[in-house]
Amino acid sequence: MSVETAAQLDTQIAFKNFDFFYGSFHALKSINLDIYKGLVTAFIGPSGCGKSTLLRTINRMYDLYPEQYAKGELNISGRNVIAKDVDLYDLRAKVGMVFQKPTPFPMSIYENIAFGVRLHEKLSKSEMDDRVEWALKRAALWDEVKDKLGQSGMSLSGGQQQRLCIARGVAVKPQILLLDEPTSALDPISTLRIEELIAQLRGEFTIVIVTHNMQQAARISDYTAYMYLGEMVEYGVTDEVFIKPKKKETEDYITGRFG
Amino acid sequence: MDLHAKRKLTNKVALVLSLIAMAFGLFWLVWILWTTLQLGVSGLSVSLFTQMTPAPGSPGGLANAIVGSLIMVSLATVIGTPFGILAAVYLTEYGQHSWLGSTTQFINDILLSAPSIVIGLFVYAVYVAQVGNFSGFAGVLALALIVIPVVLRTSSDMLRLVPNSLREAAYALGAPKWKVITMIALRASRAGIITGVLLAVARIAGETAPLLFTALSNQFWSTDITEPMANLPVTIFKFAMSPFTDWQQLAWAGVFIITMGVLALNIAARILFKNRI
Amino acid sequence: MRKKSKLGDILFFNATRIFAVMTLLLLGGIIISLVVASWPSIQKFGLAFLWTSEWNPPAENFGALVPIYGTIMTSLIALIIAVPVSFGIALFLTELSPIWLRRPLGTAIELLAAIPSIVYGMWGLLVFVPIFSKYVQPFLSATVGKLPGLGALVAGPPIGIGLLCAGIILAIMIIPFIAAVMRDVFEVTPPMLKESAYGLGATTWEVVWNVVWPYTKVGVVGGIMLGLGRALGETMAVTFVIGNTNFLDSVSLYAPGNSITSALANEFAEASPGLHAAALMELGLILFFITFVVLAFSKVLLARLARGEGSKT
Repeated sequence: MSVETAAQLDTQIAFKNFDFFYGSFHALKSINLDIYKGLVTAFIGPSGCGKSTLLRTINRMYDLYPEQYAKGELNISGRNVIAKDVDLYDLRAKVGMVFQKPTPFPMSIYENIAFGVRLHEKLSKSEMDDRVEWALKRAALWDEVKDKLGQSGMSLSGGQQQRLCIARGVAVKPQILLLDEPTSALDPISTLRIEELIAQLRGEFTIVIVTHNMQQAARISDYTAYMYLGEMVEYGVTDEVFIKPKKKETEDYITGRFG
Repeated sequence: MDLHAKRKLTNKVALVLSLIAMAFGLFWLVWILWTTLQLGVSGLSVSLFTQMTPAPGSPGGLANAIVGSLIMVSLATVIGTPFGILAAVYLTEYGQHSWLGSTTQFINDILLSAPSIVIGLFVYAVYVAQVGNFSGFAGVLALALIVIPVVLRTSSDMLRLVPNSLREAAYALGAPKWKVITMIALRASRAGIITGVLLAVARIAGETAPLLFTALSNQFWSTDITEPMANLPVTIFKFAMSPFTDWQQLAWAGVFIITMGVLALNIAARILFKNRI
Repeated sequence: MRKKSKLGDILFFNATRIFAVMTLLLLGGIIISLVVASWPSIQKFGLAFLWTSEWNPPAENFGALVPIYGTIMTSLIALIIAVPVSFGIALFLTELSPIWLRRPLGTAIELLAAIPSIVYGMWGLLVFVPIFSKYVQPFLSATVGKLPGLGALVAGPPIGIGLLCAGIILAIMIIPFIAAVMRDVFEVTPPMLKESAYGLGATTWEVVWNVVWPYTKVGVVGGIMLGLGRALGETMAVTFVIGNTNFLDSVSLYAPGNSITSALANEFAEASPGLHAAALMELGLILFFITFVVLAFSKVLLARLARGEGSKT
């Protein structure tokens, strides 16, 4: 995987002295991190290290839970989105998310995709048809479902459901796509298809993926962040992090001595 | 007798007693159902559904009572269902951690098993006594007050079963909360909620006590809900307590209709819930 | 678009909150309206209402002792019969029955719990009472009646209707209800816990008595309380067969009597507005108070089981 040189990189998401709390529990400690536009960035680390927590701050999912809060700066396209006056609906239209387990809504395949689009745009029937087709094609699902768009999204297989969820996220045309262990509930073949899909989406979207599978991180990401106990231990170009990590802790984790 | 044999014997005795308990319980219930079936079916006829409740000694049917019950049960369901669902939405989606949410949940469980005759007294005190006469609408109010806690309870149980990840997925698309609730959470739990509504209908279809001093009864055709209204349960009560065999015969037919209706609703609710439409 | 979303959120939130608040107010409304409606009676008779047995509408003299006694006595009889039977049924359904029979039998019990109580009452009056007075009561008089002390409970003419009969019909009615709750409670026991006991060589009964029962004790009592709440507040199953008389001068369970619910069912619609209606309202208030306490208690116990504290003794 080719990596652009630092000079060409364009920062899309920037954490600055970012802290996060679950009530009194200090879950993320002074995170500083730049995530680059159009690239795939992976968060790795042992369970409970805060990688999913960090991911879920990017679309402010924590706002749903009154006891969770963040401090510091999280800039997306140069704007601090932690600020109270940020419109969450706009933010989330810009930041799509796919979860650990597939979450098809209890409606048809077509409606699953149209649901998100309708929240933000007013499209005519034919425009909507085009958008649904476009999104399903981007998610490499179109050929499998084009004859049964009226069927329930829950009738699909697990791997198809997950691609449906990716299509649903893509359909809103976000700039950023967050993937929270998107293959942890899937079989190896479905996993492979999702990884291929991520490679195809790279460039068009800024992709941030949390994974517990280090081979996966090595295969698909441009940059990798290793986290431990709520701290950012090491962050850099994936190949470097995996081949010659700067920190001893990272090396121990990657070589399997710890984790 | 050694320890082993004694333990085995104790076990045998306990298990036989349990078997007897099962047989004892089923014995009564089979007997009751059998009587209802036997006497009810023999009382079935076309005139049951076409003629009014008669004076003792003359022929008649239960048409006015059946229609009255249908009217009151449907209106009560229409009033009570949205009430229960909206309150359940508050409890599960907004007020999980608030004082209002947990208190309402507790109070609702009390209302769920409160004596239905007390509900009748309440409606009498706040409505019948103020308006000045018994009426079908008072009966509707009393039944609706019984529907609310049933629908509230089942709906909140079902909404809690909706995985949170589904809600998060909708929020992640930028959906506002009310859309997440109406289009995702309520939709995902609709089979369960409809089940709850069916069970509520089954529950009020046979309720007698709350109608005794609200809707009262009416010997004639009555579709005006501002007047006392004929209904099956109170008619059955009156007819069964009477010394006239032809009235008792009609009461059995009425009880048969109610029992079958209630059982059918319960079975439909089960099938619906199992298949989750 | 954005504005609309926010407005929708505010409207929807407040709409649901209003209904939640109204549910809450409903309980308050019931209590207040009953107190207001029974105020003349509360004022006139005071606390003595609870232990005065005279109930004389023409003379406008009212005391609640007879109906309160009837309500408590019939519910007690019902529990004495229904609890062991329901325990046996729940035991059979969870541990004993062949697997293929569990679902159909369990469903049958649940369906029976849904049958309207008027069916039980009517069956009791027209089918059970004649058989009860002809065969069962003479038999009880001839056996239990000879025992010292207990004999007084079954003294008097075998007329069928009365407290004992009402208690039995109530028992038949609440058996499926309590059995269904108990079965649900038994099923809370983690299978691993039971399997470890079976693994030690325990018999089915020993597993139930030493593992399932201690684990679910709180919930079982909660279930019984729920059944008691139902028995106390039941109207139709009792009214048909209790005899509906406000005189009670013996301890015999054969004697006809009255319960709070049957007194209300029989007298309220015809009561003249004034002291008679107020006294009946006060009966309703007392009933609501008793069931409120019982139900609140059962709720607390069942909630404790659900929180997994059932194992604590």
